[in-house]
Amino acid sequence: MVYTRKNQRDLTGAERRKFVAAVLELKRTGAYDRFVRTHIDHYTADGEGRLRIAHMTPSFLPWHRKFLLDFETALRRIDPTVSVPYWDWTRDNSPASSIWREDFMGGNGRRADLQVMTGPFAHATGRWTITQSMTDIRYLTRDFGRPRDPITLPTPAQLDAVMRERVYDAAPWNSTSATGFRNALEGWAPGRGNERFRIHNRVHRWVGGLMLGGGSVNDPVFWLHHSFVDLIWSRWQQRNPGAAYLPAEPPPLGDAQYRKVAARHEPMAPWGVTPASMFDHSRIYRYA
Amino acid sequence: MIVPRRVALRSLFALAVTAFTGGALGRVATRPDRPGSEGARDPHAFDEMYRGHRLLGFSGPGGGPTALVDGRPLHLMRCADGGWVSPIDHYESCPTPLAATRAAVDELGTARLSPLAGAHGVPTDPTGGSPRGVHA
Repeated sequence: MVYTRKNQRDLTGAERRKFVAAVLELKRTGAYDRFVRTHIDHYTADGEGRLRIAHMTPSFLPWHRKFLLDFETALRRIDPTVSVPYWDWTRDNSPASSIWREDFMGGNGRRADLQVMTGPFAHATGRWTITQSMTDIRYLTRDFGRPRDPITLPTPAQLDAVMRERVYDAAPWNSTSATGFRNALEGWAPGRGNERFRIHNRVHRWVGGLMLGGGSVNDPVFWLHHSFVDLIWSRWQQRNPGAAYLPAEPPPLGDAQYRKVAARHEPMAPWGVTPASMFDHSRIYRYA
Repeated sequence: MIVPRRVALRSLFALAVTAFTGGALGRVATRPDRPGSEGARDPHAFDEMYRGHRLLGFSGPGGGPTALVDGRPLHLMRCADGGWVSPIDHYESCPTPLAATRAAVDELGTARLSPLAGAHGVPTDPTGGSPRGVHA
C-alpha cells in the first residue's frame, strides 16, 4: 500500500515520538551506522577521474531516492506506521522553527564545541554516539547559520528558479553543469562567497557541524532534508512529464565523462538499481 | 576481496606516513630529490602551524597532493572547477590543497581526524563501491 511522507511541521506529537523512537532503535541495532558508512563510501568528487554515483553527478537524485527508501524500509520494519517526514527549509527557516524542538531533532550546537545538548540525539542521552565520522568526536555537532561566515537557508524564490529548469541534467554532467535541474537542485555554482552554495548544498552548510562533511548522515536531519529534496524532484517530474533522466546513454569513449557517470539504464552501487528504475515512486510513497 | 594495487599502496603509504614523526615528515616534504627533477621543489609541499594544528603537504604516490593534519592523513579531492574539497567540508571548493586543508581545520576545532578522513569514496568495482564499505 502506498504510504505518505508528511511535512514535519504537520506531524502530531505522537507521530514525532514514533519517528524518533524508530530512528533510535535503528541506531541501537547498529543498522543506522551502516547507512552513515554507505554515504561516506560513495562520496567521490568530480575532478578525480573516477566514477561518481552519489554526488556531483546526474544520479545524485536517484541515488539518494534509493538511499532514503532503504532507510525508510528499515524504519518501517521497526514501526510500520512511520515514514520519513520532510523539512521544507524555505518555510521553516530559522533556529526557532519547531523542527529543532526538544521532542524532535533537538537544537543548535553550543558555542564552545558545537555539541548538540538538547533533544533525543544529544550525546548525554546515551543513545546517540557517533561512530562513523571524519573526526574522533563522538557527539552530534551543529552550527546553525555559520555565524563566522553567515549564510541563510534557500528562499522560495531561489527554489522557484530551480523549478523553471526544463531539462533533467546537462553536459558535462558534474558540478560545473551550467544548466539542468539536477545541478541547480544539488546546488553547485560559480561565483564568490555564499553565492557558491545553493539549495541542497546550502542547507548542509547552514546546519553545519557534521552535516558539512562526509559524515552528514550522522545528523538525523539529513533524512528530513533529503526527503524534501526528493519531494522537489517529484514535483518537478510532475511538471515535466516528458523530461527523462539524462544522460540516456553512457558518454562514449573519448568523452571526458566516459565511465564517470551512471546513464539511465546503468547500475548504481551499492544496490545495482538503475536511475530509470528509481524514476517513479508513486506505487511506494507519496508526498502530502 | 581483491584490493587494487593503487588502493593497497595508498593504505600502506598512509600507515607509513603516520608512523613518522612530524620532524621527519618536514624533511620529506621539502627534500628536492624526486627522480628526474633535480633541485625541483615538491609542488604540493607545505609545512605550517595553523590554528594550533600542524599542516604538512607533499606529493602522494600517484603524484596528487597528500595532506597531514597533526600527522593524520586528510583526503583531498579534486573538483571539476579546479578546486579541492576535504571530507570535513564537502561543499567548499578551495583553490589549493593548502586552502582546503586550512578550511578543514577551521571546522575541526580541537578534534582530531579519524582514519576515515584519510581516504573515502574509494571504488574497487565498476559500479563504484568501496573496499572498506559494508557492501564490498
